[in-house]
Amino acid sequence: MSNAIEVKGLRKEFKSYSSRSGLKGAFRDLLTRNYKIVPAVNDISFTVKQGEMVAYIGENGAGKSTTIKMLTGILTPTSGEIVVNGMNPHREREKFTRTIGVVFGQRSQLWWDIAVQESFRLLKKVYKVSDEQYNEHMNHVIKTLDIEPLLDKPVRKLSLGQRMRCELAAALIHNPPLLFLDEPTIGLDVLVKLKIREFLKEINEKYNTTILLTTHDLGDIEALCERVVMLDSGEIIYDGELQSLKENWGEDKEVHFQFVKPVQQAELEALPLSFPVIWEYDEKNHTYLAVIKDEGDHISQLISIVVTSFPIKDVKIHETSIEEIVRNIYETGTV
Amino acid sequence: MFYIGIFFQYVSQYMKTRLEYRSDFIVEILSDLFNQTVNLVFILVVFGHTQFLNGWNRDEIIFIYGFFLIPYALFSAFFNIWDFNDRYIVKGEMDRILTRPIHSLFQVVIERMELESLFGLVTGFIIIFYAGANLGLELAWYDPILFVLFAIGGALAYASVFIVIASVGFWSDSKTSIMPMMYNIGNYGRYPVDIYNKVIRFMLTWVLPFAFVGVYPASYFLGKEEWYIFSFLTPVVGLVFFTVSVMIWNQGIKKYRGAGN
Repeated sequence: MSNAIEVKGLRKEFKSYSSRSGLKGAFRDLLTRNYKIVPAVNDISFTVKQGEMVAYIGENGAGKSTTIKMLTGILTPTSGEIVVNGMNPHREREKFTRTIGVVFGQRSQLWWDIAVQESFRLLKKVYKVSDEQYNEHMNHVIKTLDIEPLLDKPVRKLSLGQRMRCELAAALIHNPPLLFLDEPTIGLDVLVKLKIREFLKEINEKYNTTILLTTHDLGDIEALCERVVMLDSGEIIYDGELQSLKENWGEDKEVHFQFVKPVQQAELEALPLSFPVIWEYDEKNHTYLAVIKDEGDHISQLISIVVTSFPIKDVKIHETSIEEIVRNIYETGTV
Repeated sequence: MFYIGIFFQYVSQYMKTRLEYRSDFIVEILSDLFNQTVNLVFILVVFGHTQFLNGWNRDEIIFIYGFFLIPYALFSAFFNIWDFNDRYIVKGEMDRILTRPIHSLFQVVIERMELESLFGLVTGFIIIFYAGANLGLELAWYDPILFVLFAIGGALAYASVFIVIASVGFWSDSKTSIMPMMYNIGNYGRYPVDIYNKVIRFMLTWVLPFAFVGVYPASYFLGKEEWYIFSFLTPVVGLVFFTVSVMIWNQGIKKYRGAGN
């Protein structure tokens, strides 16, 4: 199977200007400006096979967006090689963009003032999609994403969730073999998220569409991607299965208990459990925190024993987020 | 062909949006017409006192002004890019443009067109015919063809200056006030260039070719033979400057840094 994306030694540097302090400094800046060359993406290499769904993650400012912008032909790399869909994105931009779909969660691809279907119609012309292709493909997309009732509304009147579904549909008008999604579920409610995830899975199965997405939502990744590429300070610090990443770094679960009556920590530690639990007391909220390994039925055991021993007001299970996993990795160094 | 099709798609979309906001549309046309009337009155007042200006009479100057309005209307209808830096670079709208399979400048042009400005053509023609009738100008069969060529050449020359300035935004995202200044300088093209000193005349011919928008092409129709060379250079200059400006734009695209999100 061919590779959808091949990246070798990719690097993007930005000049960052720093201004001196004070009025005197401002005058000196006029003559010579201080600048540093900051690599936003630092010699990264990876390949993505056709049909793969890859999550591209990292903290804010890690270089995710910069990479995606180079892969989509928006930015010119400082050095390195990129071959996407067999083309150089920047050099053959106009031909290349016919083979990709792009959704930037924070930037609309649609025309603000005109009805959604008019936007679709324009894009259909822009991408030279024939009527048959359009009807066959888009009727299905519109039905699955449930945007039929939104089609005659102008984009500015849509809610964020409605807009995102339309954006996604717009990115798929030419049925591209490769889809870039930059934070597609940011700020969306759970139902919309689920719908979008299901839809992405479906088009991946149906058309073998390659999907590269950036996200802060672990749920997105778990639902969609087997492979995770993690970026930090412009470098890839992990490239592999999500499962092993989580096993190594996100294995602990935190369970928060709030009791009706005050409970001593010693009493909790004395509970008959078959596995080790670390109890911590949170003074601010007057809750106890149990940290356990996420294995087998440990969580249900823990909760059932605690609940039968002490009357409780509230229980919360907290899962490690991407940010925490990244922070864990960051604190301990290498993967 | 593809580009022509896309152009008309955008035009029809534009009309639809404009008709939705009918009152805005009418206000814009009215203010446009008002603007042009004020300019015309200004010219009439100024030249009401001086019958001759460096060998040009009142009607000739009015004719030049009328001619200038034609390429200027074309320019302002399609090259509404004075806020390109703010809108597309600082706000990062260029990201979207660059993910579509059409030349980026062409996309900006069709997204930002203001077809109301084409009403300037009407005003222009009224003035040209008024001044032309006063002067008793006669038309040869090929004059309309030359007129179209000169008008397009002038519009391209005008546009190229603004494309270059917009392209500067790719290299430096600091704000400049060059744009409004350029609109002022552009107006110099509607007066006979030989009233300016040599340096300015040279500038308006070869550096900022605004003279090719008004005086030079209009001189042909006024039968000013000493300017004929420049008149016939109009389409050439327009094309050359425009090509160069697009090349600069294409280079600039490579320097585009995007807006962080």
